[in-house]
Amino acid sequence: MSLEGVFVKLVIISVPIYMLAFIIYSIRLIKGPTIFDSVLAVDCLSFDLAAFIAMLAVYFKSAFLASSAIILALWAFLLDLYLAKYFVRREVGA
Amino acid sequence: MIGTVLFYIGAVLIFVGAICDLFGAIGLLRFPNFYVRLHAATVGAIGGAVVPLIGVALVAIGSDFLGSIKYVIAGASFVTAIIILIVAPTASHALAYAAHKSKAVKWEDKVCDHLEGMEK
Repeated sequence: MSLEGVFVKLVIISVPIYMLAFIIYSIRLIKGPTIFDSVLAVDCLSFDLAAFIAMLAVYFKSAFLASSAIILALWAFLLDLYLAKYFVRREVGA
Repeated sequence: MIGTVLFYIGAVLIFVGAICDLFGAIGLLRFPNFYVRLHAATVGAIGGAVVPLIGVALVAIGSDFLGSIKYVIAGASFVTAIIILIVAPTASHALAYAAHKSKAVKWEDKVCDHLEGMEK
């Protein structure tokens, strides 16, 4: 079997596991008791989506998909820092 | 030859990352309060994102069916893995500090809280 066939079989095995994990993260995102639980779920969801996009970039043979994962990871970090700053000081500021 | 070995190591890392991702998600759903859920979130972020990204980088550098864009995909995946490895503990620490400072999380069965009398 060629390497591409092995990779397609690996994608077929591991994409349902990722999808199940995304669904469970979304349940915690919707029913989280406080806002911190929701933001923690968004955090994990964005990091795992970055890994998922990098895997799809190899599958579709596209270089543009791989470069968008960096932006997604940094966006989740920015969301966490703004929310933490707001809840500590009650203002976002500069 | 060395490319094939790198490809199979990367494939094993992607599968391990998928399993870690599922375990982190189940822990994030089932644990009782916010401070316990932070542990499961670390499993979901480091084991579920950094390990598959390094696996994707190894797969891309070892595969011959990608042509010349395999260096682009491998470099972007490795940079993203290093960024997440630095950023995820910082983000969860800031979030835990804000949650304790703003007293938004109420939890039962409290054993001890060393920071309780420290705030002015």
